[in-house]
Amino acid sequence: MKTLVSTMAGLTLLFLGGCYESPNVTTYEPGVYKGPKDPLMMGKADQRAETLKKRFELVQMDR
Amino acid sequence: MARMKFLCDAERCIECNSCVTACKNEHEVPWGVNRRRVVTLNDGVPGEKSISVACMHCTDAPCAAVCPVDCFYTTDDGIVLHDKDLCIGCGYCFYACPFGAPQYPQQSAFGVRGKMDKCTFCAGGPLADNSNKEYEKYGRNRIAEGKLPLCAEMCSTKALLAGDGDMIADIYRQRVLKRGGRPQTWGWESAYGASG
Repeated sequence: MKTLVSTMAGLTLLFLGGCYESPNVTTYEPGVYKGPKDPLMMGKADQRAETLKKRFELVQMDR
Repeated sequence: MARMKFLCDAERCIECNSCVTACKNEHEVPWGVNRRRVVTLNDGVPGEKSISVACMHCTDAPCAAVCPVDCFYTTDDGIVLHDKDLCIGCGYCFYACPFGAPQYPQQSAFGVRGKMDKCTFCAGGPLADNSNKEYEKYGRNRIAEGKLPLCAEMCSTKALLAGDGDMIADIYRQRVLKRGGRPQTWGWESAYGASG
């Protein structure tokens, strides 16, 4: 009888354990980029803009 | 902050397709995928006009707005890029893009789409700059090397311009002033007539 009760209690605990709900909810943010950050964006954009401006003047300006 | 843009001057484009060839060669773009193409209006008719079209790196990109997995991002200088690891090849961006820029490689039978591929403004993707992995997935990263897109840099007539939008606009404005009049290839009058 004792064994039966303890088995039942164990099974009940196991069953209820399956009802556990994680408090860490993953919230989906629409329209927000989900991938890794581009190394290009870690550099200095102003410095790059200056370099590209010089390049543009060198190669693409009207002759 | 500079905003990178393309502009194709239809009065100068001679439909040589060098921009298309340069792009395919530079990035080893696979068969069936065209990141850039030349479209000719009134082909064969005297006065035909051609323009070179690719991703226009929209300020408010519709492809990014419809992407269900949010794989698009915009760099500080306005270049629209995407992550191929997130892309599921659904094709929504293709329907949303007014320029037909997104392309899909055929990877298996029954028309199953692969990961979307498009013009990167020669800026690669979200992998280490100029790494082998970045090159295989997105092509060469010329921006990281301080260079501008090859299609524009090697355009023989300088019809295709790529760079800071303000600088491009200045050049185009000077050309229009020199020609004496606005080109009538497109615009309100071409679409709806003078009395429209």
